[in-house]
Amino acid sequence: ELYFLPSKNQIGRVSHNCHTSTILTPNGKENAQRIAREELTEVILKLLVAWRDPLWHFHQDMAQHHEFNNFSSNKSLEMSDMVHELRKGVQKVVEKMQMLGIISPSIGNLGTPEALLASDSAEWRLMNDYDLLYCFRRDSNKIQHYLKILKCRIVPEHGC
Amino acid sequence: TLEPHFTDCISRDLETFRCWWSPGSLHNLSTLGALKIFYLKKDSHSSEWKECPEYIHDNRECFFDSNHTSVWIPYCVQLRGQNITYFNEDDCFTVENIVRPDPPVSLNWTLLKISPSGLSYDVLVNWEPPPSADVGVGWMRIEYEIQYRERNATNWKALEKQPHTKQTIYGLQIGKEYEVHIRSRMQAFVKFGEFSDSIFIEVTEIPNRHGLVPFTLVVIFGIVGVLIVILLIVISWQQRLMMILLPPVPVPKIKGIDSELLKKGKLGELNFLLNGGGLDGLQPYAKELYHEEPWVEFIEMDKENEEGGDKVDNCNSDTQKLLGLPHRNIDGLSAISHPDDDSGQASCYDTDLPEHDTQMLIASMLPGQPENHQASLDAPASETGERPLIQTQIEGPQTWVNTDLYAQVSNVMPSGGVVLSPGQQPKMQENITGSEREAQKGGKKSEDCEDNEGIEDWKKSEPQFQLLVVVPEGSGSTTKNNVQQTSTPPNSPVPGPGYQTIQPQPMETKPATMTDGSQPTYILPESPQSQLFTPVADYTVVQELDMHHSLLLNPPPNHSPSLCQPQHPLKAPMPVGYITPDLLGNLVP
Repeated sequence: ELYFLPSKNQIGRVSHNCHTSTILTPNGKENAQRIAREELTEVILKLLVAWRDPLWHFHQDMAQHHEFNNFSSNKSLEMSDMVHELRKGVQKVVEKMQMLGIISPSIGNLGTPEALLASDSAEWRLMNDYDLLYCFRRDSNKIQHYLKILKCRIVPEHGC
Repeated sequence: TLEPHFTDCISRDLETFRCWWSPGSLHNLSTLGALKIFYLKKDSHSSEWKECPEYIHDNRECFFDSNHTSVWIPYCVQLRGQNITYFNEDDCFTVENIVRPDPPVSLNWTLLKISPSGLSYDVLVNWEPPPSADVGVGWMRIEYEIQYRERNATNWKALEKQPHTKQTIYGLQIGKEYEVHIRSRMQAFVKFGEFSDSIFIEVTEIPNRHGLVPFTLVVIFGIVGVLIVILLIVISWQQRLMMILLPPVPVPKIKGIDSELLKKGKLGELNFLLNGGGLDGLQPYAKELYHEEPWVEFIEMDKENEEGGDKVDNCNSDTQKLLGLPHRNIDGLSAISHPDDDSGQASCYDTDLPEHDTQMLIASMLPGQPENHQASLDAPASETGERPLIQTQIEGPQTWVNTDLYAQVSNVMPSGGVVLSPGQQPKMQENITGSEREAQKGGKKSEDCEDNEGIEDWKKSEPQFQLLVVVPEGSGSTTKNNVQQTSTPPNSPVPGPGYQTIQPQPMETKPATMTDGSQPTYILPESPQSQLFTPVADYTVVQELDMHHSLLLNPPPNHSPSLCQPQHPLKAPMPVGYITPDLLGNLVP
């Protein structure tokens, strides 16, 4: 559900520029394994933060435009809530890890509203719905992989 | 015409990917090296086409290793010929979207269980994730899909996708062979990998196991049910079973006597039994009781008699017993027995038979009176004298209706007569009625020492005398009023109340011979009527014998007995109720 893509009439086109492209993210497994855990955690949080507002607005658009069915509207709301919850969860995990000393407390204020404003948050308003969803799908996949790797690096047992 | 194109680009592990092309219909380009592959990686705007890092010409494949593979970055590939570039925008992709994981390996199955009906079974299938997919690190999250079908079926049945490496197939049927294969895909993605090699599952029927369990259950329940039934039978029939298995040992018994009665000490019932129930065995028992009284002879009873019986029948039975048959009741303790058969059944009014017997008995009672015998024998000819006697005698018991049922045999005549002692007082009315009955009988007058002439007088006169008749019942007194001859009051000794004696023969013959009627043939007790109401003692002493060897119960103290009262002075007064042997001797000439 996290990666659910509403059925659009547009077939996938590759020319996308997501607003989160500025965020440097590891592009492969090896890269993700090489960087430090703190960086990885930071990347995750950045992504999560970057997507809070766009998803919210997306849901608002879906609810207002009645040409979409309730299923799509509910799904968009789910996506927004899910990302929100995920961000909070990750922040808690980071705080825990920092407390335990697993990672250094160099990450700090990623969740603060100041950090949000610092990012170039206006780009996402220009994107159409399809591109927005495409970018969100890609970023959520990244987040998922990064979290998995981070989990297995911190807690090697349980399926790693 | 078909230009060269890419057939497919696939990544197996999200780290590398491959692209295959085909030359198309242009065969001239199929030669090696005619076509080149270039790719474009769109990241950070430094996009330039690069050539394939690794060619595999045998497969017409271009392999991109991990160094050249970047996830989440769009790639575009193109074919270039000599001067021609074949490019299609559809050939742009991102790596994560072209991932098709390898199929799982080590597919295996185990039997979970067979249904109780034995028709279906469940199978657990397990496998290993594809080795190419780095699931351990968490880089790849794979979910699997199992499909199975019957051996010769065309359609596959798919189970729900799930990320675990084992899954249960339910409802497979015994005897059928199934084909199972599995494939995998990335979670949240669409493209599946290839199917694994199929494995075949088949479970043949196991008759032993199939039929054994219910069979054993049936046997067990059957045995339990049988045991319960047997238990119930044993509990409910405990007594009977004990009788069958352990029959009681026969103990010696006296015929007719219940040992339980003796134990319980019920004298009443015991008396009853002794009286009439145990006929054969009573004699020895009774003898034991009275062993102290040797002069008491016990007479056997022939049958069981009712206790008390009818009042009228008592009369009959008593009389009959006395006169006709030697059946007596044991004194005192036993109830009056009542003959049931015809032996003594003749009613008081049936004069034919009893007359005869009576006469004979009477004749036998007075052994010392042969002439009396003669007279008595002749008496039947003249009924007048006898009949009254008989009648009165017969009727005597009638008067004793309300008397006690018991009488003690105080003496037994050698001739067989029994002297009874009544238990209760006599009654006047009965005497009267008795006499009335006599009158009703039509002329048959009471026993009397009167002759025929005095009969009428005797009728009219008040009964002054008491007929002494032995009553087998011992019922009270046998106060038989005898019509005395006109004048003389009865001088007969007062019987102990209700005392009866067998009328001696001579008494009977007296009236026959004595026309005067002055000679009483009976021993008439002196008892006035007043005496009749006095309480009766159980025993009466035979005080004396008259000259005719008649027993006098209460001899008159002074005057000599009238003619009708032959008396025999006794030597000495006797204790009431007993007759000593010497007295007996006196009595018996």
